[in-house]
Amino acid sequence: MNYLEKILHWKLIITYLIVALGLTIVIAATFGPAHIHPLIVLKMLASRLPLVNSLIAPSWSVSEETIVFQIRLPRIILGVLVGAALGVAGTAMQGLFKNPMADPYIIGISAGAALGATLAMVTIASLSMYMVPLMAFIFAMGAIFLVYNIARVGSKLPTSTLLLSGIAVTLFLSAITSFMMYISGEKLHGIVFWLMGGLWASSWDDVWMALPWILIGTTIIYIFARDLNVMLLDEEPAQHLGIDVERLKKIMMTFTSLITASAVAVSGIIGFVGLIIPHAMRILVGPDHRILLPCSALVGGVFLVWADTLARTIIAPTEIPVGIITSIFGAPFFIYLLRKRKKSIF
Amino acid sequence: MNKMTSVTLRINNIACRYESTSVLEGIELSALGGDFIGVIGPNASGKSTLIKSISRTLRPYMGAILLDEKDVYSLPSKEVAKKLAVVPQESVITFAFTALEIVLMGRNPHLGRFDAESADDLSIARKAMELTNTWHLSERPINELSGGEKQRVIIARSLAQEPKVLLLDEPTDHLDIGHQIEILDLIKRLSKEEGIIVIAVFHNLNLAALYCDRLMLIHNGKIFSLGSPENVLTAENIKRVYGVEVLIKRQPVTNSMYVTLLPRRESMPPSPGSLPNKGAPKRPFFVHIICGAGTGSQLMHLLTEKGHKVTAGVLNAIDTDHEMNYLGIPIVSEAPFSSISCEAHEANLGLIDKADAVVLTSIPFGYGNLKNLEAAELALKNKPVLLIEKEPIEKRDFTGGEAKKIYNRLKENGAVVLQDTKEVLLIIEEIAR
Repeated sequence: MNYLEKILHWKLIITYLIVALGLTIVIAATFGPAHIHPLIVLKMLASRLPLVNSLIAPSWSVSEETIVFQIRLPRIILGVLVGAALGVAGTAMQGLFKNPMADPYIIGISAGAALGATLAMVTIASLSMYMVPLMAFIFAMGAIFLVYNIARVGSKLPTSTLLLSGIAVTLFLSAITSFMMYISGEKLHGIVFWLMGGLWASSWDDVWMALPWILIGTTIIYIFARDLNVMLLDEEPAQHLGIDVERLKKIMMTFTSLITASAVAVSGIIGFVGLIIPHAMRILVGPDHRILLPCSALVGGVFLVWADTLARTIIAPTEIPVGIITSIFGAPFFIYLLRKRKKSIF
Repeated sequence: MNKMTSVTLRINNIACRYESTSVLEGIELSALGGDFIGVIGPNASGKSTLIKSISRTLRPYMGAILLDEKDVYSLPSKEVAKKLAVVPQESVITFAFTALEIVLMGRNPHLGRFDAESADDLSIARKAMELTNTWHLSERPINELSGGEKQRVIIARSLAQEPKVLLLDEPTDHLDIGHQIEILDLIKRLSKEEGIIVIAVFHNLNLAALYCDRLMLIHNGKIFSLGSPENVLTAENIKRVYGVEVLIKRQPVTNSMYVTLLPRRESMPPSPGSLPNKGAPKRPFFVHIICGAGTGSQLMHLLTEKGHKVTAGVLNAIDTDHEMNYLGIPIVSEAPFSSISCEAHEANLGLIDKADAVVLTSIPFGYGNLKNLEAAELALKNKPVLLIEKEPIEKRDFTGGEAKKIYNRLKENGAVVLQDTKEVLLIIEEIAR
């Protein structure tokens, strides 16, 4: 396959994945205690679009519309956003650190967010619904700021020091979180539930809170896709090829943190997606970030929506934290991919 | 690849250090487009550090590196990368990019933030790969290529940058000799044709001598010698910097300097109380060799290896055997193509006097060197004389019978006639005991 054919091939892959995402949204919206036919869902969605809306006569009840638009759709869209954010952040972190163990949480975001959320739940008596995500976001960014300043040597940010200080800060913050949980009394259940991560009770407010950051962050990361490719050659060669390595590291750290913190703030700590989706995509489409990042975003979104759909329906009316589902179904699939392609990917 | 525009690189008295250890000091260099400069020196002398500091990886704490009169550390990475490419010692690429994708990364400095590689970039990459003989590998994943193939791809990547300055850190050490020559020929040609400054670190001194216009010999972070290969590659410099004995000749075909390594000889005078090595002579045994035209070199080398003291004479100053001078063998010499003078003859006799045995190799005799034969005859009075006779004297006598007369007299008076060097060695070992 020559180079130009490859570009064409990329466009094709992305088109397929966008179609898959659309189908996922529609089909996932039909799942739930109240059965709603996919065609109805499609019509409902179309009725909200400009131009085509006049062609569609409503053939559904008000309650059906409420279920789809106020309950299921925000949850699905949030799933897409969170999945995409984790996929992109994980890809960028692995590329930046050249480390297969890297995931969006590796430099302390999850620990910061967990502490923020726990503090909010334990200390604030009358919780407004925005307090938990807000505290999670602030503490996540705070943790990154701390890690960054510990790891910084002059104006440089040595990768290994960054990883290690990330681990140190994570352990430290986790200890405080554990202590808070220990003394939290009857609030423990809520905290554990939040920490496991999930998309329940998602509203459009959550979507609007996360959307701008995730959109801006992923776009900026994508703009630096070619730089990330060159970074895979290692820092020195990358610099010789005109990459401002230190600046790139700072940009990547800022925006991966931003999108990860936004995702965690609205959904808790959902594991696995940010680690495995980038690996799986690298096996399937190769290491070039110009295709890898969009694929990780789209597949991350699709994957999380399906995992969440399963989580809320598999033993309905009880919901399972989606993190459990992502691991139970994602891990075997990833192992299958690893075995199928025995070549080393890192 | 580029239009010929001249480029200048000036290194102004730079000094570098890692933490507090100083690794480079007082490095000065000025280069113009088309210069091919070799950096040589022992391990840890600072060669790679020099490459690092020019390529903006290790900022010197003193001095400046000026590329076209602009400090490279004040320019954005991208601007520098448009003019300066680096081929590292080794590249570890674990990701499955194809060779072509790797070479296309060389176009990165020329692409804008929102650009994708154009057809032009693709053709530049292709040309670079064809030059380095890697185009057939273009679709292969880089992490599945052999070390040599990978290095050629990396060199193609650096060429795709269309650099004005090319820095190479032992670029061909992973390549077989065929590819070494191919790549260095290519770089040399590009350097001249495109006016590129090439600065390359070499371990192989002969390759350095063969390709470089100028050599910089670094020792302990300082310039030990800088100049043409003839001036830098001297046995003296190499002995002082690398601590090895070498023989330096001018290669007649390529007219470049050629360095031959000589094995280290430990001179160990037997100290009282210590047992002498088995087979080694108990005291230094002095052998004087009368030779010429390359008939004595091997013997001199072998005898020195065995721990004997060797002297030779009288030789003409351009004689092949005369090069053994580099081994530290005292040699009485005469001006090229001249007859042996009385002074030389006397000096020769002086050496013979100190010798325990004298060897006369199978040299031809004319009137010019008849004195050597007389010297052998004098030697025979009080010490063994060994004659190597590869050809009968009749064939070697260009004096109309005079040489033959003396030679036969030598034989009659007890000079030992031997076939070759091996026999000489055996006899000498025997006498030395």
